[in-house]
Amino acid sequence: MHLDDAAAVARAKGGDEDAFRVLVERHSRNIYRLAYRMTGRPEDAQDVVQDTFVRAYRQLARFEARSNFATWLYRIGFNCAIDHLRARPHRETGEAHDVLDRRPQPNDGLSPDDLVFAGEIGDRLRNALGDLSAQERAAFLMRHYHGCTIEEISGALNLKTNAAKHAVFRAVRKMRVALRAMHAVADGAPKLKWEA
Amino acid sequence: MTDTRPQTHPGDDELVLHFYGELPADERARIDAHLGACAACQAAWAEIRDTLRAADAVDVPEPPDGFERIVWARVSAALPPRRPLVTWRALVPLSAVAALVVAVVAGPRLWPTDRAAGGRAAVAPSAADIRDARERALFAALGGHFEQTELLLVELMNTPEPMDDGFEFARLAASDLVASGRLYRATAEETGHRVLAAMLEDLEPVLVEVARGPEHVDRETVRSLRARIDDEDLLFKVRAVSTDPRDR
Repeated sequence: MHLDDAAAVARAKGGDEDAFRVLVERHSRNIYRLAYRMTGRPEDAQDVVQDTFVRAYRQLARFEARSNFATWLYRIGFNCAIDHLRARPHRETGEAHDVLDRRPQPNDGLSPDDLVFAGEIGDRLRNALGDLSAQERAAFLMRHYHGCTIEEISGALNLKTNAAKHAVFRAVRKMRVALRAMHAVADGAPKLKWEA
Repeated sequence: MTDTRPQTHPGDDELVLHFYGELPADERARIDAHLGACAACQAAWAEIRDTLRAADAVDVPEPPDGFERIVWARVSAALPPRRPLVTWRALVPLSAVAALVVAVVAGPRLWPTDRAAGGRAAVAPSAADIRDARERALFAALGGHFEQTELLLVELMNTPEPMDDGFEFARLAASDLVASGRLYRATAEETGHRVLAAMLEDLEPVLVEVARGPEHVDRETVRSLRARIDDEDLLFKVRAVSTDPRDR
């Protein structure tokens, strides 16, 4: 079935499960990425994906046709992920760490010194991401990894535009502070790959 | 000594927006020109840019092939079951059924007697028999009550606006559900099923609102009603409880 989001939503609202399946299959990878970055664990991310679509189905009647379905779904996805984290507070601090642990390692053509240096950056980013509040993390992830505009973030997270903007700014500031010491060291060290 | 640095340095937050391309074209051009001439801002820009590029290294492992099908299998299993195409317009009057159930539940004197053995004295049921029978009658009736409440809520949420004549049917159905719901609630409280009684209590205000609504509703009223059903998660609750009232 080839339907754009608006047509699929209209049909799904009328009870057409095949149309809803189109939406699930089209957006599930993006919601998985979002959920993984928020929770840091594949099994938790899969639960969040499922919760997101079930919640979306239940709330479909409330979706307004003029809105962007993907953004609306992000909002539900982030809220599901935040609920998931709140339900498991003892695991929250470890989750961002897992994300970074599993990142592709920049080992192509790097010297052992470079690898040590990149590893230290990873450690600092890991801690910085782990220290972000759920709202800051959500806003930063939406902006940085999912290309959402500030307007979209404010709509998705139900924040005023300024609050959404400042959530991103705070996140960047914390990460920048975390890496600042590394930059100071880098002044007298070989440049990082991205500075080449 | 005259400060020769270009004025109006962009702030760090502006540089973050610049990195993400969130500034208007004239602002972008102004900042680019400024960065070309201001070493201090260049250093700040380099730090922000490098920090954000470092974050790019954080990637997510791709889910396996066929992930979409797996997700759909999980999601479709968790969706509420599809109902037959019956609408609340065809509902039978519920208050009569409710009255009958309440009579059975509250009236153990109506318990049948065993006269099969040549007119011997009636066999009195045990207390456990009476309790079981009352629960069975209550649960059987509540299953239908919640299912019909769900149908009404689904219709209210999905019927295109304006509802016009459709709302008159909704009022009648809601009125019947309010009457039967009150009887069931009293019975549920009496038999100690407090969660079911609370569920019926949660549903009553919105049903009363529909039952007492005007003959012709405007869009605002319909939207406000829908928002209330949504905000209080009534459809989800009633679906959950109608699956098996005994679980509650």
